[in-house]
Amino acid sequence: MNTHDPIVGRYVYVQCEGKTYRTYYEEHGEGIPMVCLHTAGTDGRQYRHQLCDPDISSNFRVIAFDMPWHGKSIPPADFHLMEDEYKLTTKFYCEFIVAFCRALDLRKPVLMGQSMGGNICLALALRYESEFSAFIALEACDYSPGWWIDPLHHPHIHGGEVVATSVFGLMAPQSPDDYRWETWWYYAQGGPGIFKGDLYFYSVDSDFRDQCQKISGKVPIYFLTGEYDFACTPEMTQRTAEKVKNSECIIFGGGHFPTSEDPVKFKEVVTPVLKKILSADPERRGQGGNALSGRSVSDSRSAGRGERPGEGRKVIEF
Amino acid sequence: MSRYGSRSSFDLEWIERWARKVNDDRILPVIGRFFTSKFVLGFDDTEYLVDVRGGKIQKIAQGLTPNDMGVEFWLKAPSSAWSKFAQEIPPPMFNDIWAMAHPLHKQLIIEGNSLPFWQNLRALTRMLSLMRQV
Repeated sequence: MNTHDPIVGRYVYVQCEGKTYRTYYEEHGEGIPMVCLHTAGTDGRQYRHQLCDPDISSNFRVIAFDMPWHGKSIPPADFHLMEDEYKLTTKFYCEFIVAFCRALDLRKPVLMGQSMGGNICLALALRYESEFSAFIALEACDYSPGWWIDPLHHPHIHGGEVVATSVFGLMAPQSPDDYRWETWWYYAQGGPGIFKGDLYFYSVDSDFRDQCQKISGKVPIYFLTGEYDFACTPEMTQRTAEKVKNSECIIFGGGHFPTSEDPVKFKEVVTPVLKKILSADPERRGQGGNALSGRSVSDSRSAGRGERPGEGRKVIEF
Repeated sequence: MSRYGSRSSFDLEWIERWARKVNDDRILPVIGRFFTSKFVLGFDDTEYLVDVRGGKIQKIAQGLTPNDMGVEFWLKAPSSAWSKFAQEIPPPMFNDIWAMAHPLHKQLIIEGNSLPFWQNLRALTRMLSLMRQV
């Protein structure tokens, strides 16, 4: 007997700033659409645990897409003719996320993003609040300097290894080794210069310190940050949240990649948030009928690795 | 050292114990196969030369002499910061050399030629993390 994750992957063609982007996404579940944004230089695999969690997927249609240049989403066709290095901008990032949601005909999805995906929630709340029903901003703050640096894309330095190792310490030492190294692996697989180019957005083109106060508060924003995050420290998130109307701030014992470095801990932390979102939007929840219980996900570190048939499957304990 | 204890001094004897941990490690010869460099670890005002060949430490010495040519980079931090770094479970912001060196935190200063530092970051990160086993 073979074991499969329930995730389904597809490609959609997204128009943005005059170009067409063949964009890969994975999804599972039914209910309130929840679009998940990966961190800089990686891809939607960071959400594989949440995509497979029946407690979440019975109430949410969970969708994780790979930004252009990331994962299985290819760069624009003429990328080899670019006269500047790859740089993600706030404008493009916002427009692409909105265009992706429209390409899938999503109506007011929840947006969950981490790191740069968390920071962009602030820009979207400012510019496109009518497109979304809630923001879950993981490891997010209004200004995160210090990461747009040349060693991350240099011909004398192994990009994959340096990029992955530069983020390893962002994870909590207590997070499971297997998951921390899986996260390291995602980073090691990024395209040349893509992590650094994303960090142009993260550290240069996303200074929202004077804009946070202008967010209307019509759409709730939930900030969640791990105590070991040295790029976006708990204090940085707390200072940001204090400026944002209709926001909550949760600091937890974890690191910068909560969805992938410690999915069991992350479920504990995010479940109360998801419950609030469900309570505020009862008509759109899935037909599965399972209220989010906060039941722990069993340890699924061997999922898909096939030690024994069926052993790797996620099991929810009641 | 104890799990949450603090270290009052990093003397040469301690550095030697760390170097022996490094040279007993079975992963470093793999990920550090091309890590050949001379660098300096600075604890407050005390400097230790570390001479690495192929991921193994060939020599350590306290202080530098005119004969110590070819030192490529310095990693300097207060002993209070190294003390936190060397805990079995280090506290936030002290669990990683790049965390300590990041411009937001500036607990660790990288001086000299930073190219070999970045080129060997993976092996160097593991090498220094073995301080937690001393």
